[in-house]
Amino acid sequence: MNAAKENLWKAFRGLLMVWIIGLAIGETLMTWGIGNWPILGSIQAHITADATTYLLWQAVAIYVLVGGALIYSAVRFRASSMSDTGAPAYQKRTWAPFVVTWLALAIAINLANTIYPGMVGLEQLWGIQLDAKKPLVIDVTAQQWKWTFSYPKQGVTDVSKLVVPEGRTIDFVLRTKDVMHDFWIPAWGEKKDVIPNEVRHLFITPTALGTTATNPMMRVQCSLICGNGHPLMRAPVKVVTAADFKKWVANNSF
Amino acid sequence: MATNQMQVQPLDDMNGDKSAFTITMLYPLLRATFWGLTGYFAAAWITAAVTGNVLVGALPATVGYVAGMIGWLLGSGVWEGWIRRAFGGKEAPSYTGIERYFRFGPDSKSTAVRYVIFNIAAFFFAGLFAMAIRIELLTPDSTSWWMSEVMYNETFGIHGVIMLLGVVASAIVGGAGYYLLPLMVGARNVVYPKLLGLSWWLLPPAGLAVFLSPLIGGFQTGWWGYPPLAQNSGNGIVFYALGAATILIASLFGAINIAGTMVYMRAKGMSLGRVPIFIWGLFAAATILIVESPATYTGALMDLSDMIAGSHFYTGPTGHPLAYMDQFWFLFHPEVYVFILPAFAIWLEILPAAAKRPLFARGWAIAGLVGVSMLGAMLGVHHYFTAVSDARMPIFMTLTETVSVPTGFIYLSAIGTIWGGRLRINAAVLLILMAMMNFLVGGLTGIFNADVPADLQLHNTYWVVAHFHYTMLGGVIFTWIGALYWWFPKVTGRKINEFWGKFHAWWFFVFFNCTFFPMFIAGIDGMNRRIAIYLPYLHQINMFISISAFLLGAGFLIPLANLVYSWRYGPKADANPWGSKGLEWQVKSPTPYVPYPATIEPEVVGPNDNYAPGAKEPFVWVSTPSK
Repeated sequence: MNAAKENLWKAFRGLLMVWIIGLAIGETLMTWGIGNWPILGSIQAHITADATTYLLWQAVAIYVLVGGALIYSAVRFRASSMSDTGAPAYQKRTWAPFVVTWLALAIAINLANTIYPGMVGLEQLWGIQLDAKKPLVIDVTAQQWKWTFSYPKQGVTDVSKLVVPEGRTIDFVLRTKDVMHDFWIPAWGEKKDVIPNEVRHLFITPTALGTTATNPMMRVQCSLICGNGHPLMRAPVKVVTAADFKKWVANNSF
Repeated sequence: MATNQMQVQPLDDMNGDKSAFTITMLYPLLRATFWGLTGYFAAAWITAAVTGNVLVGALPATVGYVAGMIGWLLGSGVWEGWIRRAFGGKEAPSYTGIERYFRFGPDSKSTAVRYVIFNIAAFFFAGLFAMAIRIELLTPDSTSWWMSEVMYNETFGIHGVIMLLGVVASAIVGGAGYYLLPLMVGARNVVYPKLLGLSWWLLPPAGLAVFLSPLIGGFQTGWWGYPPLAQNSGNGIVFYALGAATILIASLFGAINIAGTMVYMRAKGMSLGRVPIFIWGLFAAATILIVESPATYTGALMDLSDMIAGSHFYTGPTGHPLAYMDQFWFLFHPEVYVFILPAFAIWLEILPAAAKRPLFARGWAIAGLVGVSMLGAMLGVHHYFTAVSDARMPIFMTLTETVSVPTGFIYLSAIGTIWGGRLRINAAVLLILMAMMNFLVGGLTGIFNADVPADLQLHNTYWVVAHFHYTMLGGVIFTWIGALYWWFPKVTGRKINEFWGKFHAWWFFVFFNCTFFPMFIAGIDGMNRRIAIYLPYLHQINMFISISAFLLGAGFLIPLANLVYSWRYGPKADANPWGSKGLEWQVKSPTPYVPYPATIEPEVVGPNDNYAPGAKEPFVWVSTPSK
């Protein structure tokens, strides 16, 4: 029992249609999803979200191209039943144009991703950090299970609420008193582990005014398991204008 | 019985002892339990008394675990089956009947069956823990009527350790792998049969200890065991560190067998180009364990030493917790390739037989398997980009992203094999097709975590939870069940129920995606991992995830019932029900005790995936040359 010879070029035209329809649907959904992106409250958040959204476009495209080919060929080239044991006429072990195209694309996408968004994003993040001539220094102390903030140059010590001015790069100096923690403000798009016996820095330039009450993404959240109080190891955040920050400092410094 | 003894066993005995099951066959199992418990409590109590500690203290628990493990192993048959001879005694006779399933022995097939049983049991209980987690997350508040935050942390920690080390680490390698390894290379057994037997007997006490860790105080760290939290949040970390180290060493014993069997035990004519692709997948996984596991179980034991012996490797004013992270992830990133590479290889083993086409671009597929395992040694650091210095970021980002290239070869090969074939889709094939679609999502979302800028936001959020469940549950577990179905006739001589197999495949696929896809969104929306309490704005999405998870979890009872029922009452299968040209299907099903009789052995004369009409059979049977 020899199976009928498949017309593989005709099958490929069908696959092209699957790809076109799949890409149209997938990328439309992605446009909608990215349109509903949560708040981006700092320059750094824009950089990291740019990386994420770019990779999402790309992931949808690759998913449709690879997954579409897989599903399409499984459906198109299925046997009528399990008892249909006839072998297909097409028995080639390889086909160079397919393999070479795949290999070239895989290496090219990989190389491209390393450059953008990878290295470009890092270069931008490092650039802000190196350009910040006079950053606002805030000492952050993590302990089980609370955050404490001090503003050494402003003379504000040991407050439990993070108040920062808009538009100025902040150098968060991260220390922990006990175990590892992770300093994360979801709206600011970056996080940094706080490690015992080490001092770490996180540079953030807030751009959006707001408070935790108006947007829950604006909160300090411990993001590394630190014991039973971990989920509640949060602190409120308030981003204010430069003038309001001066007033706040005047009211809170000693 | 040593391998060389088995090779001279006469043909008449190849089926082994046929006597029926009697209750006395359980004796070694009961003795192992009794000696293990006695060893544990005696050693723990003496240690507690001598050191003035409590019985549940860290040091008594450690000493008790070691003594209990030794008692369990000796009781299981290691004493008379292996050790006694070293003391001048006689080695026990080898058991070829049903009793070999209940005691330590050199038979790789019964070891593999025990692996499957252990994996199913571990998956069941760790799955219940997942359900408990999702009940807690039904509401944003602390849900104190269900469990406290302490219990919640213990629950996800145990869920993680058991699912990773007790299930996916040995699901495919242990069950399908150790069963098929000798059969596929044409050997009568693996290269170190007793070591392989030992590897299974190490698992039950280790798994049990992790499950029971809350009894001595639990652990709060999740499956990472990061210091210094490990040392100050409950003595259960002792069972975590010892259990993890034990299971890693058991995996290492298996890996040595895989590598050695592939190198030394292949049938005549089986050049490396003709080694079945599944064996290549096992080999690629084994090299990872051999190279990388020592760094990591050493790290776990040093973590333990900080807890019980007053050392300060990672804790105290001079300790360096980052060093632990380096050691931990040195294996535990590539460990996920240990889980997935055999799954990749299963896809490529099953697809040619199902599509009646040769494996497409076979050389590239092997390069993919080996390439992933080689790159895997170099990229554990991408698990803590948020902790390392800036200078380390680019290299580990680049290396991690490079893994996508060899991984892609697997898809290249799979699509090329189906294309132009005649794919017969049964429950097993359906499950592996779904596994490929799931793993595609898991792999693509991994790029976000490899890309440092994106990872700085997504790290430790539900994005990561979704990502690794897509690879581990969606990729490995789907493939595992598919493999159990595909080789079920080989082991039992019966077929599974195809309708229920396909039904639950669709059930899984729908509810798996409903459970884990929304987690990507939750992660982007700022939900971090390992929290019993979350903010109310995330309530709706978590409700949806939880309800989907309950339906997904309930669905796993279907394959369980299917396997158990089919084992007893399923329709009888032919020796080669799928028309495969694999060597393992050329012997009787169920596999006789000695798969290749003493006087005859297979010689490989062609590729085992040539399905062209009228193609020459890949194997001929030649008589074994006398010594």
